[in-house]
Amino acid sequence: MAKILVVDDEEHIRLLYSEELSEAGYEVITAADGYKLTERIDKEKPDLIILDIKMIDYNGLDLLQEIRNKFYDMPVILCTAYDTFKEDIKSIAADFYVIKSFDLTELKNKIAMALEAEIPSS
Amino acid sequence: MFEREVNPEKIKKAEFVVAIPSYNEADSIAFPVHQADKGIQSFFGNMKSVIINCDNNSSDGTKEIFLGIRTSTPKIYLSTEPGIKGKGNNFRNLFKKIVDLDAHGVVVVDADLKSIMPNWIKHLGEPLFQDFGYVTPLYVRHKYDGTITNSIAYPMIRSLYGRRVRQPIGGDFGFCGELAQIYLQSDTWSDAVANFGIDIWMTTIAVNENIPICQAFMGRPKIHRAKDPGSDLGQMFRQVVGTIFNMMIKFYPFWSSVKWSKPTAIFGFGLGETEMPPAIRVNKKTLFQKFHEGFDRYGHVWEKVLQKETHNKLREIKEMDRDRFDFPTHLWINALIDFAIAYRDKLWRFDELLDSLIPIYLSKTLSYVIKTERMSIRESEEFIEEECVQFEATKSLLIRRWDGR
Repeated sequence: MAKILVVDDEEHIRLLYSEELSEAGYEVITAADGYKLTERIDKEKPDLIILDIKMIDYNGLDLLQEIRNKFYDMPVILCTAYDTFKEDIKSIAADFYVIKSFDLTELKNKIAMALEAEIPSS
Repeated sequence: MFEREVNPEKIKKAEFVVAIPSYNEADSIAFPVHQADKGIQSFFGNMKSVIINCDNNSSDGTKEIFLGIRTSTPKIYLSTEPGIKGKGNNFRNLFKKIVDLDAHGVVVVDADLKSIMPNWIKHLGEPLFQDFGYVTPLYVRHKYDGTITNSIAYPMIRSLYGRRVRQPIGGDFGFCGELAQIYLQSDTWSDAVANFGIDIWMTTIAVNENIPICQAFMGRPKIHRAKDPGSDLGQMFRQVVGTIFNMMIKFYPFWSSVKWSKPTAIFGFGLGETEMPPAIRVNKKTLFQKFHEGFDRYGHVWEKVLQKETHNKLREIKEMDRDRFDFPTHLWINALIDFAIAYRDKLWRFDELLDSLIPIYLSKTLSYVIKTERMSIRESEEFIEEECVQFEATKSLLIRRWDGR
């Protein structure tokens, strides 16, 4: 069972994703902010991270850089209420992005694609 | 007098190298050399460094200009044998020198760059001293600049090898010393690689070797000597696309196992406001005309190379008005698959086969221009990203066709 870490400062989003993604067969763990995030990733070893871009004390795009530099191939899906973040070049270090919605169909599709993505060792 | 190498300071070892390939760049090489020197002194001042000009024995005095530039960093001049031209041949000399110098990191910048700044050296070089082995540039480019990259090199490298490298033939990049040895040992060297095919060849090998790749944000557009796209296109197109097709044959076991794609790390921020690239005008009439002329000139090749449905569809879109011209992405992907297989199976003489793809590529470009006319650079980037996802989604078709199923 793939383990997904949801990083979002909105409790109702964490709850929604936890319920829906657990029902879809994933193990879900959550974080309410980016505090010591890379340490948490090291410890929990998730297979994929869903990352909110705008959190009260944290910029998701900066956290994305930290994750990408430390965990080169860790799948990360950015979640946001607005698509203006795409103006920031840092966003291309994400596997995918989705606009937040109560319908998680797109998010689930992207999760499946990101988990399926595979580059063989040479 | 011909000299294969000039090493005034007798440099035998270096940790960091900035290399500038050239052929007759006497009037432009001074600027990138000065910027490279400033970049080295500002950001790599604690390392043993050298600036290398790898040249094609230029007749315009490039060597004398290069060696005469006052720099704080030592310089080495390398040349291919008289009569031997080609950017790739310059790189082969460079790879050997990198191995001799036992260098850890190498940054390459073009000799005709007008927009290079010292921090380009930092951005392309610093990741090589962290965990990365290959660094490609991320420029803000005008939506109509780099159409071979946008339509062929980027989507194909991404969908074949699974790594999203936005500028795989950017010309300015960084690589680790270990890769120089790998490049020298590769059995995929060809005449195309010895010329303009070198950039895509280097990127493809780095991806296949699973070298950690990073993209460095340059903050400014790449501005270099203006070239006439019409006159340069044929040779450049043949060498870049021919190299992609050739590498597909060699690396089939790798790319057939790749599913979807993965991003890379990004390096280089805090540059302040990003400078926008100058606008590029495209002559839609010429693109349309060249596509139509392609039917007379290469119709016999297309009939042999393209699958019947693809050929029929091409004839169908030929009837469209110029202003409403639409070349569907899936048709472009099918055409590329047909051409790659024709190349592998030697269905036609290579040069003419690749030349015959040009009118189809130009019509795809026309369609892209029309579709993105009212789009911002960011929106056109999203359009290209969506096309890439279609390339990735068609991978199973490519594998089936490649396997003859």
